[in-house]
Amino acid sequence: MIREAMAECLDRHHSRTAVAGAEALSYEELGSRIHAAAGLFRDAQHVGFCLGNRPEYVILYFATLFAGRLPLLLDANFNTGEIEAIRSDCGLDALVMERSKAEALDIPDRGEPVPFGDAVVLPLARVEPRFSPRPDTEVCRFTSGTTGRPKCLEFSGHAVVSAARNWVLGTGMAPEDRTLCLAALSNGLAFNTSLLSTFVAGGELHFLKGAPLTRPVARRIEESGITRLVAFPTLYRNFVAPGGPERSAMAGLKHAISAGAPLWPDVREEFRSKYGLDISDYYGIAETGPVTFERDAGYHAGLGQPLPGAEIRIAEDDGEAGEVLVRTASMASGYLNHPGLFEGRVDAQGFYHSGDRGRLIDGRLHLVGRTQDHINVAGRKIDPTEVVAVVLALDGVADAVAFPDEDLNREALVHLVVVASNGGVTKASVAEACRSRLAPWKVPGRISFVQEIPRTGIGKPRIAVLREQLTTKGSVE
Amino acid sequence: MNDDQNAMKKRVQRLVFIAAGGKINEEELGRWDVDLRTIGLDSLGYLNLLEGLERTFGVAIDLDHEEDHSFLHTIDNIVRYLVVQRGAAA
Repeated sequence: MIREAMAECLDRHHSRTAVAGAEALSYEELGSRIHAAAGLFRDAQHVGFCLGNRPEYVILYFATLFAGRLPLLLDANFNTGEIEAIRSDCGLDALVMERSKAEALDIPDRGEPVPFGDAVVLPLARVEPRFSPRPDTEVCRFTSGTTGRPKCLEFSGHAVVSAARNWVLGTGMAPEDRTLCLAALSNGLAFNTSLLSTFVAGGELHFLKGAPLTRPVARRIEESGITRLVAFPTLYRNFVAPGGPERSAMAGLKHAISAGAPLWPDVREEFRSKYGLDISDYYGIAETGPVTFERDAGYHAGLGQPLPGAEIRIAEDDGEAGEVLVRTASMASGYLNHPGLFEGRVDAQGFYHSGDRGRLIDGRLHLVGRTQDHINVAGRKIDPTEVVAVVLALDGVADAVAFPDEDLNREALVHLVVVASNGGVTKASVAEACRSRLAPWKVPGRISFVQEIPRTGIGKPRIAVLREQLTTKGSVE
Repeated sequence: MNDDQNAMKKRVQRLVFIAAGGKINEEELGRWDVDLRTIGLDSLGYLNLLEGLERTFGVAIDLDHEEDHSFLHTIDNIVRYLVVQRGAAA
């Protein structure tokens, strides 16, 4: 279904520019490249994408679909262990990645990499996967799982196409729009707001090579006439910091979209004041796709209204705020490698239990917290029990707890508090153990030591008391 | 290494501390040859550091032509890079 939708876009907008990176490709040229590249996947059923944003990503992603194969969009920062886990669970017959990363990848039964622009297609020997995708699955994306095993979300073609069409409809995306996408295409934000949706609208999709620093981003916005910026809170904060780009550089920008982590209210306010533009604080969930968008430029509170195809209910729990329940036309079908897990979070009416707490005010979603214990670090949800389990396995650790905290830049981090039973355990040894056994984003950003972790009668850690204790007494070394 | 470069190291050290949001302690940052990624500078921290280097030292750090970014992985290497960049700009 994605193939048919994309074919229609290529046909309808053939002479317009579709993708702009190091070079620009018209829809017609993009179509030719896609068809030519489809042959690369003749012998691969499941193709893993482990690549940063660039035109080659777009070409090879659609080439996979046009070849009738299944693309699995991995986080480009997944390590070898995580790639191997996906290969074992879901099957990977080829990997699309940067040339240098392919050379360094220590993975058995690999073939000769086939160059494609500045990427390569790396064939892998077939390993019979533990799980088979549903018949209508056309794309898989991943959420960070526990114990180094990313969870594989399956999406039907209908879900992916619905997400794109509803985003175009709900946000007023038009053929004149030029989207600069700085969030990774493997992430739900970029995937749903940029990849297929840009082409459905007949617009242009732009990528930036190199690090997303404000100077080259502003230059690109100005020089290429970018109208939509898809980015993350840290970038917006850097824009409003002293020395950030001038207002004139951003004059053509019509939509600034932020997601992945909550946007700081003062940054939103300063951005509006400096550039005369509101940042749309989009709300989406990996499992459901896009949920909200603020269409009213004069409305400055909350996360916007439900997009077409999206419904929100609040499960009443205290009369004011409750768990946010979401039903969309772009829902995942399930977790390929965790059967039953997704289904357990969807109620009889088809609403997904998000784990976020919030309320609806004037039809806008306002979040107030989480009902679950996961820690959201830069858009990646971390199960604190996984971090604690690593530390409790160390000799000399009597107890530990992990909870969300902030660094001095107000970025979310995992705060790990440890009770040592002997003097052999230090911050350095705990940090080293975490770095060697956890994905980089799960490693605690702060480690503290206490004599005892305050707990309730049933053994649940009293985080508020612990925070207070650390504030007043500090960490004991 | 001359006094000017030692002063630069201290400024870079401070920028790393700020960029990391205080997650890296000063003691670890005292080892100027240590790989910053191994002591906790994550991808957002790197982004903040690059912004800080550009604004503090007035250089443009274009990574789009460089496949290998190891020249920015230690304080020693960053200072060497800055010296070359500022020399080229002078």
